[in-house]
Amino acid sequence: MPPSKTRPASAADELMTVDRPLRTTMTDRRTFLRGISAGTVVCALGGAGYVLADDEAARRAAAASPRPDGRPRLPPNQYLLSRIRPMGGTEGDPSPGKFRLSVHGEVEAPFEIDFAELLRMPQVEQTCDVHCVTKWTVLDSHWTGVRVADLAARARLKPSARYVIFEAAAGYTSNVQLRDALKPNVLVAHRYEGNPLARQHGTPVRALVPDLYFWKSAKWLTGIYFTSSDRPGYWETRGYSNHADPWREERYA
Amino acid sequence: MPDYADATVPARRKRTTVLPRALLRAIHRDIGYIGVGLTLVYATSGLAVNHIADWDPNFQNVQAVHHLGPMSGDDEAISRAVRQTLAIAEEPRELYRASPEQLDILFEHRTLHVNPVRGEVLDEGQRPRFLLRLANWLHLNRGKKAWTYVADAYAAALLFLAISGMFMIKGSKGLVGRGAVLVLLGMAVPAIYVTFAGGP
Repeated sequence: MPPSKTRPASAADELMTVDRPLRTTMTDRRTFLRGISAGTVVCALGGAGYVLADDEAARRAAAASPRPDGRPRLPPNQYLLSRIRPMGGTEGDPSPGKFRLSVHGEVEAPFEIDFAELLRMPQVEQTCDVHCVTKWTVLDSHWTGVRVADLAARARLKPSARYVIFEAAAGYTSNVQLRDALKPNVLVAHRYEGNPLARQHGTPVRALVPDLYFWKSAKWLTGIYFTSSDRPGYWETRGYSNHADPWREERYA
Repeated sequence: MPDYADATVPARRKRTTVLPRALLRAIHRDIGYIGVGLTLVYATSGLAVNHIADWDPNFQNVQAVHHLGPMSGDDEAISRAVRQTLAIAEEPRELYRASPEQLDILFEHRTLHVNPVRGEVLDEGQRPRFLLRLANWLHLNRGKKAWTYVADAYAAALLFLAISGMFMIKGSKGLVGRGAVLVLLGMAVPAIYVTFAGGP
């Protein structure tokens, strides 16, 4: 059996080529590296082509339609999904029976409500777009909940309140400026797409702050804390933007 | 010629020398062995969490709608009927009546949202990916405290492995041969990415 054409046969080669040709038993390093490189390029080009082809038409249509405030519905460098993704997090207790929401801090009348009382407050159904910092956007998502502004009104904010800290299970927090949190589309939400929130989306109740990256919309919500000074939350203290405006691409600090 | 055969010359101690490269290879190998477990944890979790926008690396999420027909009776009776129809042996941990059209039956990893009026059951839950969830928990350092020291030690070990790896086998051209090209290529990857992506 002839040895490899590319190099002289060594003793080891001879041992390995007793029964079979060298090329079928042993891939040399150069061939291996060549194969790996070619595979990587093919995968990268294939993946990019797939992503571009899949999203392009929908992306153009969405980007073409402006929001009422004039900004494009699709923030820069986002792609479209049809439903929100879970995105992890340390899950809280899904029990509506044990749920309590504490509204406290720089308020005249702090209070705590259970799930039944939350359902008795004025309910808002809204359709809005949400944007994740990992670059997906979901247009026209349907939510039901109670406005944070209504909860703030019931607690009677002190003039010193300037920030809102959403408190959630396992110590997770996210901070939002008061003017952002009191917008009419900011909710304490308990239904998504007509159904109760699923476990992976923070049942029984989560925050919904549609105009900021979605990590601000804390899942498994347990409290709303009004404060006079800013307190960067879980992701904000790990290198992510303090404000998180998707149209300014405020992803990182 | 003097005859030294019978001379009482003290025997010279045999010197055992350990070559630096051989020592480096031995240390590299042993640290590599120690790091196998942690590498599996961090690498698999890294792959899983990198693609968190595409899947849930901690749970398999399941959702289904069952049409069972209108139901009557108190919450307990409805719960029993639904569990019997869906062949659920697990005892619920909670029944919660949110409204006349919503009765929630909670289990450990599953919730049935029952609409007794319409006779529909939204069945949603999660099945933990046991090993991957554990790996993610460690990787993301949810435990904090002591694990921080383990992670720091592992990071230091990786630095050692990376640097020592360059010197383990002497190339025919030393540090300026193919090894240098590959090292520079590896370093160029983040540099090129930052250049084109604009950096932080």
